[in-house]
Amino acid sequence: MLFHSNYRNNSRDKMCKLKTNLVFILCLYSILLYPQNQTVKNSFNEILKKKAAQFDQESNFNKAQYFFINKKWDSTLVYSMKQLSSGNNKELSDYCHYIRGNSFRQLKLFKEAQKELNLISKDFPFYYLADKYLGEIYLELKEFDKAISHFEKLEKRTPAQTPDYKISVIYQNLGLCYLHLQKFDKAEEYLFKSKELKEKENDNASLTYLYMNIANLYYTQYKDDKAITYFEKSYSLSKQIKDFDKKRDAALNMAVVEENRGNFKKSLVYRKEFEQWKDSLTNQNKIWALADYEKKFAVAQKQKQIKVLEVENQLKNTQRNSLFFSAIGLLIILTGGVYLYAQKAKNSKIILTQKNKLDQLNNTKDQLFSIVSHDLRSSVNALKTSNSKLSTTLETKNYDELNQLIIQNSAIANGAYSLLDNLLHWAMLQTKQLYFHKESVHLNSIVQQIEYNYKPLLLDKSITFENSVPKNIFILADIDSLKIIFRNLLDNAIKFSNENGKISFYTRENNSEYCELVIEDNGIGMSQETIKELLADNDLLAKKNDSEIIGTGLGMQLCKQMIKKNNGTFTIESEINIGTKIILTFPKITNNG
Amino acid sequence: MDNIHVLIIEDTPEQSDALEKVLLQHNYTVVGVARNFTDALKLFYENTIDIIIIDVFLNGKPDGITFAESINIIPNASKPFVFLTSSQDRQIFERAKLTKPFSFLMKPFNELEILYAIEMAVEKFYDQINVFLSEEQNTVISNNHLFIKKKNALKKVSTNDILYIEVEERYCNIITEKEKFVILISLTKINELLDKNKFIKTHRNTIVNSDKIEEIILADNLIILKGNHKINLSDTYKDFIKKMNILS
Repeated sequence: MLFHSNYRNNSRDKMCKLKTNLVFILCLYSILLYPQNQTVKNSFNEILKKKAAQFDQESNFNKAQYFFINKKWDSTLVYSMKQLSSGNNKELSDYCHYIRGNSFRQLKLFKEAQKELNLISKDFPFYYLADKYLGEIYLELKEFDKAISHFEKLEKRTPAQTPDYKISVIYQNLGLCYLHLQKFDKAEEYLFKSKELKEKENDNASLTYLYMNIANLYYTQYKDDKAITYFEKSYSLSKQIKDFDKKRDAALNMAVVEENRGNFKKSLVYRKEFEQWKDSLTNQNKIWALADYEKKFAVAQKQKQIKVLEVENQLKNTQRNSLFFSAIGLLIILTGGVYLYAQKAKNSKIILTQKNKLDQLNNTKDQLFSIVSHDLRSSVNALKTSNSKLSTTLETKNYDELNQLIIQNSAIANGAYSLLDNLLHWAMLQTKQLYFHKESVHLNSIVQQIEYNYKPLLLDKSITFENSVPKNIFILADIDSLKIIFRNLLDNAIKFSNENGKISFYTRENNSEYCELVIEDNGIGMSQETIKELLADNDLLAKKNDSEIIGTGLGMQLCKQMIKKNNGTFTIESEINIGTKIILTFPKITNNG
Repeated sequence: MDNIHVLIIEDTPEQSDALEKVLLQHNYTVVGVARNFTDALKLFYENTIDIIIIDVFLNGKPDGITFAESINIIPNASKPFVFLTSSQDRQIFERAKLTKPFSFLMKPFNELEILYAIEMAVEKFYDQINVFLSEEQNTVISNNHLFIKKKNALKKVSTNDILYIEVEERYCNIITEKEKFVILISLTKINELLDKNKFIKTHRNTIVNSDKIEEIILADNLIILKGNHKINLSDTYKDFIKKMNILS
């Protein structure tokens, strides 16, 4: 801004120009320091490293020197501070103060730097360096007198004593100080000393500024011709170096000089050059900014990628979770399915047994119906026809035949009744509804009671009946089922006996636990096949044979089942035309009374 | 010897008539025929009954069982009874069975069956089974009566009427004030079953009803009972006299 205002005013005000140049010098100064520092540090750093190796237990000092050499100023400050507060070694303290001062200076904290450097004891081997830095600091702080006092100390040292920097620098700094103090003679003297040395060293970069400073010196004293020579020298040198700042400053100086000479065209050319260097600088800055931006962009890109990855991860997680849950769900469904299948199988098994039971019951019912429809129907029908015959006979008053018919009727009725009774008992036995109660039974009495009912029938066929069961025999049986058995067997015996036959009930004594009852007839007997058929263990009724005399087989089945229920046995001995023996056994009760 | 008194509980007249006929034929006395539960209870309490024949179903309801249950509750009132039924319904049986002792007869029945059933009921009631039909014994003994089987029928003798019992091998001569008859029972058994405070063994083969003793002549070893029956008193069995003395 300062340059621009000057440029626009286009005044030849010397003070203004001086000011402008002074600013140049100040700027120039810090840049000048740079190459010097490099040398200083190198030799100092070597000593510092040696010291660190010597004091390798002092970890804080080691760290501090490490960070100092690597130009990590903040970390250097931290560890040197730790070293100072913990360690008592004076030598190390001096090193610490020195590196701290240097670090503060690098961080532009000049006051702090000053303090630290002042703390260094006079015995410190690099004390002269501290002097140099103090001088430079005072120069920075524009306390030129103090700066001069420090620089003069160094000036007296021989170059051999100062391996860390060039004496030319000191001369230049002294020159600068005097320039600022407007002691132009001394300034000229020092600057030319420095110039001589630098020209020997062929340090173009430093010479550019040195020439600039000399030019400024002359320019301030209005020795414009001399000044311009140096400005041009500076400008021409600046062409050979790469430093944009120096190129720019040289160009600007030329521009100002030409402007002041009124040579605007040239001034304009220099100005343009200045602008160009300035642009390059800005460009460079821009490139830096761009690089920075790119970096930021890259970071953002990375961030984005990370986010995408995160999202992907999340997605994967969700997928994995959903997969897991679906697997569990499938497992549950499978288990449930298996369970339901098992349940179903169980149910179907129950249903099957129930079906079988129902089938059996249905079978029973069917047989019942077939018997009812055939036998019972024919019996009742016979009774009916017999009755109508009876009524017609009654009209004719044929009493002999009447009696005959009545006997026949009662026989039919008896047959039908016994059939019905059997049917009922059989059905009840099948459905397990029959009341069954075993008790002591007097066998002889029961045979008598059964015989009593069959007396007319026996009489009709002139069959002799003999009950020779001893009166002291008691058996354990259900009385009603026993009666059914006897009734059926007696009925059969009568049916298969001829006229004037004989039926006898008697016991055979051969066992104390069982009573053997024989029902013997001398009737038509039966074949072995028939016996086999009768004894066949068959819950269902045997198919009815076509012979009238055979009957339904119901009675025989009933007998067998009843005997079994009474814990008895049942056997048949028979010979055709000789007779049949039915042998039953029942558990006996030994009567102690 | 008296007839057995029977109470019939039967709602069907034909059946009760047939039953009555059979019973009368065999010298039973039918005290009455009840047609329903109320009548039955009335007749039961008004008369001396030895046995009851009960139809399970009275007018379609199993009141017969209810009756049996009722008389079973009253102590010492219960008598032997026989259920008549035409149903073999298991549930009815299970209920009837609870009225112990339980005897039943399926309808239809012939006269032999009803007589057998009555005998069985008496045996079961007095808990002396297989008596009437065995060849060793024909008498069931309760506290008040002897039930004796004569041919196909039962008779009873009140224990109060007995003067003394004389044992002769397997038989016992029962001597009452009016008559004298023989029953088939061993002495040991009759001794066990009779009331021991009342019937006293006075001799190896004689049991005397102590209520009937009029005089004991120790000098002659003689007991004189009512009706001037003279009984020998054996020395072995004299101990009972001490008891009597204490009592008098």
